[in-house]
Amino acid sequence: MGVVTRAGAPAIQFRQTEVVYPNGVRGLDGVDLDIARGDLIVIVGLSGAGKSTMLRAINGLVDITGGDVEVEGRSVRQSRGAGLRDLRASVGMIFQDYRLMRRLSVLTNVLVGRVARVPTWRQLLGLWPKEDVDLALDSLDRVGLADRAYVKAGQLSGGQQQRVGIARALTQKPSVILADEPVASLDPVTSRQVMEDLQRINQDLGITTLINLHFLDLAKEYAERIIGLRQGKLVFDGPGAGVTEREFADIYGRHVTAEDVLEAKVAL
Amino acid sequence: MTPQRPRTTTRQRVLSALAVLAVAGLTWWSAHGIGFSLGELFFNFGKMGRLLGESFPPAWNFWPRLVKPLLETLQIAVIGTFFGSVVALPLAVLAARGVSPSKPVYWLHRNAMNLLRTMPDLFWAMLFASAVGFGPFAGSLALTVFTVAVVSKLTSESIESIDMKLTEAVRASGGNWSETVYFSVLPQVWPQYVSYVLYAFELNVRASTVLGLVGAGGIGMVLNTQRTTFQYDRVTMIVLFVFVVVLAIEQLSAAARRRLV
Repeated sequence: MGVVTRAGAPAIQFRQTEVVYPNGVRGLDGVDLDIARGDLIVIVGLSGAGKSTMLRAINGLVDITGGDVEVEGRSVRQSRGAGLRDLRASVGMIFQDYRLMRRLSVLTNVLVGRVARVPTWRQLLGLWPKEDVDLALDSLDRVGLADRAYVKAGQLSGGQQQRVGIARALTQKPSVILADEPVASLDPVTSRQVMEDLQRINQDLGITTLINLHFLDLAKEYAERIIGLRQGKLVFDGPGAGVTEREFADIYGRHVTAEDVLEAKVAL
Repeated sequence: MTPQRPRTTTRQRVLSALAVLAVAGLTWWSAHGIGFSLGELFFNFGKMGRLLGESFPPAWNFWPRLVKPLLETLQIAVIGTFFGSVVALPLAVLAARGVSPSKPVYWLHRNAMNLLRTMPDLFWAMLFASAVGFGPFAGSLALTVFTVAVVSKLTSESIESIDMKLTEAVRASGGNWSETVYFSVLPQVWPQYVSYVLYAFELNVRASTVLGLVGAGGIGMVLNTQRTTFQYDRVTMIVLFVFVVVLAIEQLSAAARRRLV
């Protein structure tokens, strides 16, 4: 487990990956990294350190301007059109602000995870194949929301909406899940529930999982391996449990404060 | 403490004086051009009185002959609204900056949309009449184009103000352009779209009455016939009838729109 690579090629490979935005901002600056299949990785760093960019380089939501990223041996940078959509379909993504269509039902939101696998005309007419609907309901069941399938997504609480987001990603049957600050908008108790959902899915289904986190205590608790970013550069790489406060301070370039831990939020 | 009144500069005074002069000049020029004369209106007031006298009381017993033409007017409006709204939706998407698939596609559809809007509905009525002859069909085609122009413009503006972050969720799942539009753009604007369609219907009921005057059928055509044969009491009846129906439709439609947004 952990840093040790399992049989076969790594699930994700960063090779001198560089992302420079059109406005000149350097999002990622020459990152080299192998991520083993089935690992649960937490990425930490200050906001603006490149965490979101790193996840978005994996599914091609940002343009890679130097080097490359490979997902299961497929180059992200070379992927275009249908190839890129197929690659994205194998990578589920979860967002801080959930990104659900509030006016659509929970089930329809989760079925969006099948867009790349079902003919467009069937989707536009609402004629989803039964196996895809079953898959969506099964994903909802995994996050404990099977009974809310026909409710409008906007009527759910924040924690429930985030779990719908997880179900949507699961419905893609992905080999990788990316979670971009999945608990930053949630209260401490709900945060833990969402982290436990992600951990259980990682363990039960063996899906390689990358999670951007703000809270250092959550990172230590759930990560098999922690990656630290500062100014787009990889500045830390080590097993989750053993990270010291001093190492966190090195990643952040400043002392660790109450803002950086979830428990401090509980105390409030 | 009273605020200090800002001082008016000479430059501002000169500019205001010029603006007043310009408005006065423009008004005089226009009045002269159209033969505007309060005197003429005053000395011929009697003629207006005679017309009003002939117009009252309204020919109440004329109303049964108005039901069918009025239904035809509504039918013209319904057809124009329906087909126009169907065409307007894809046009609105393709002409929305940030959602349109490419710069050339955006440019093409935005300009097509603006061109449609610049042409008055009477122009379209005449154009279609030359193809299919004067009548309700030409009228409904003219209103179709008019509806496309109104609904696509308003919807396009709504689409440009949506939350674009939601589209990222569909793209991240591997969605193509049409799937992204269908699942993340349209759900954000559909109440506005339906509201614009109802609004277009209100406009179309009024416009189809006017189109009847130039031969597009419906109540407008009856109005024209009665007017040219000097049956002013019947004209009054028609105007009252149209007024009541248009008012009722506007109230219903406005109530429906309030519930939507």
